[in-house]
Amino acid sequence: MIKRIPVYVWLLTPALLFVAAMALFPLVYSLVLSFREWKLAQTDIPGQWVGFDNYWYLLSDDPELIESLWPTLIFVGFDVVLTLLVALCAALLLQKPSPISSFSRILLILPFVMSPALIGISFRFFLNPEFGVLQFLLSFLFPALEGRIWLADRWLSMTAVIASDIWHWAPYMTLVILGGLASIPKETQEAAQIDGATNWQVFKDITFPQLKPVLGIVLVLKTVFALKAFDTIFTISNGGPGTSTQTLAYFVYHTAFHYYDLGYAAAAAYLLTALLMVCSFFYLRLVFKK
Amino acid sequence: MTGAVTSIPGYQPTLKSRLWSMTQQTLILLLISSIVLPILWMCITAFKWPRDVYSLNSAFWFEPTLTNMVTVFQHPWNLGSKIINSIAVASGAVALAIPMATLAAYAFSRYEFRFKKTIFLTVIASQFLPGAVVVLPYFLMFKELGLLDTRSALILINLSIVLPYAIWMIKGFIDAVPIEIEESALVDGAPRWRVLLEIVVPAAIPGIITAAIFSFTLTWNEFLFALILTKQDALTLPIGLIGFRTDRGDLWELMAAGGILITAPMFILSLMVHRQFIGSLTAGSVR
Repeated sequence: MIKRIPVYVWLLTPALLFVAAMALFPLVYSLVLSFREWKLAQTDIPGQWVGFDNYWYLLSDDPELIESLWPTLIFVGFDVVLTLLVALCAALLLQKPSPISSFSRILLILPFVMSPALIGISFRFFLNPEFGVLQFLLSFLFPALEGRIWLADRWLSMTAVIASDIWHWAPYMTLVILGGLASIPKETQEAAQIDGATNWQVFKDITFPQLKPVLGIVLVLKTVFALKAFDTIFTISNGGPGTSTQTLAYFVYHTAFHYYDLGYAAAAAYLLTALLMVCSFFYLRLVFKK
Repeated sequence: MTGAVTSIPGYQPTLKSRLWSMTQQTLILLLISSIVLPILWMCITAFKWPRDVYSLNSAFWFEPTLTNMVTVFQHPWNLGSKIINSIAVASGAVALAIPMATLAAYAFSRYEFRFKKTIFLTVIASQFLPGAVVVLPYFLMFKELGLLDTRSALILINLSIVLPYAIWMIKGFIDAVPIEIEESALVDGAPRWRVLLEIVVPAAIPGIITAAIFSFTLTWNEFLFALILTKQDALTLPIGLIGFRTDRGDLWELMAAGGILITAPMFILSLMVHRQFIGSLTAGSVR
């Protein structure tokens, strides 16, 4: 007797097959490619097998990779920490139900549904040295910035890239943290307040510990998306000036589609994938820990 | 306890707590303006003549014009065809993603099977692969298939991007539908597909709509794949935007006009469903 195929297999097949094909194919293909030499500018077909040469060169010799590790660290570090801080403060501010806070919650969706490419372009526009409105405002507040060309300075350029990413992501993360805040029972906070605890004490000893799981999720999720970030970097600074805002993700793109060094790009891509897999592992453990 | 009853109604606020609440109001105002002002500035820019864009003296006093809105639809910008491509790609991806995701979400929600959790997590984790990593194999694959610069290639890629999110969101909503009605229908002898179509889908429809809009938004704004896999015929709106960076410099007033065209539909869609949208965005990552 042939066992009947259970219904759930039929239900799952279309989606799973497709996701598996679209995720596995590039992974396997990149892995194979990373052991070969293939300069697309010279030849249309993959070249010879080179073993671990691409990886060796990547980790030992390539100045551009080292140069792109620093921007990656700086970008991801500041981006993640600042997004988390801004989102946490915003969520605490908007926590109390009021007309203005529910209005703000609606507004918080807007940056998230905007095209990151458009956000990058707009930041470029706002920071233009001659007629950028943000540049004007900032030089009014901080005279030291007067006359500086943001995107020609390595640190200011990095600041601009990070700021645009925070503008895109912090509102969404605020909504996530607000969701977390809403699930904390109010009774303990109120009891503590009645017992004379200050706002800060209530936050530090009661709210924050219960918010930790949600903050952990925000932290890891934002790290993943910061490591993946491409659109805003491409539209604001193109990785420049020099390589000062060239993160690992941008480096992979640049190696493949400007230098056409496909094997080498694939090896770099695998390095990035390894980093991301570590992050996603922690993310999934945090989210689905039961 | 005496003297510390600070949050009881009718209690007279001290100067300190009044100052604190004023600070909070100011900060909220600052928050709102940092979101609204840049968007507003872009909208204003779209209706300015170039001479008013390139000078801060006419930041607010300027003669409005519709020229930019017209220019972006003309040669060589042709945003019209890019809008059509964007709509086709996003609708195509959503139209394929939602039925596939609903079936899978139903299976994950209602059946028990081996490796269920692992499979589910692997599907979600596939989204953590950076685009920069997978775009090169896709490029070579679509080149081989002759699908470079076609909407079909973009639909396939975006489908693979949005499917995991859609499964996750819809599963959350199906989980919340009480199972009893389904069970009694099954006991009465109704076939599975009718239970799914006539009981589960209507009950989970807010979630399905939210997932559809979320997927539409992701596809609509997708940048990297469109940048590399299209050249001329299948260009989408985000790529159209960077077309305004020309050898003669950046044409900001046209970018702003294009920016309105790419942003307005997303704002309208997300405001239409903002209640469910916020709920499922937040619940999705906390659950």
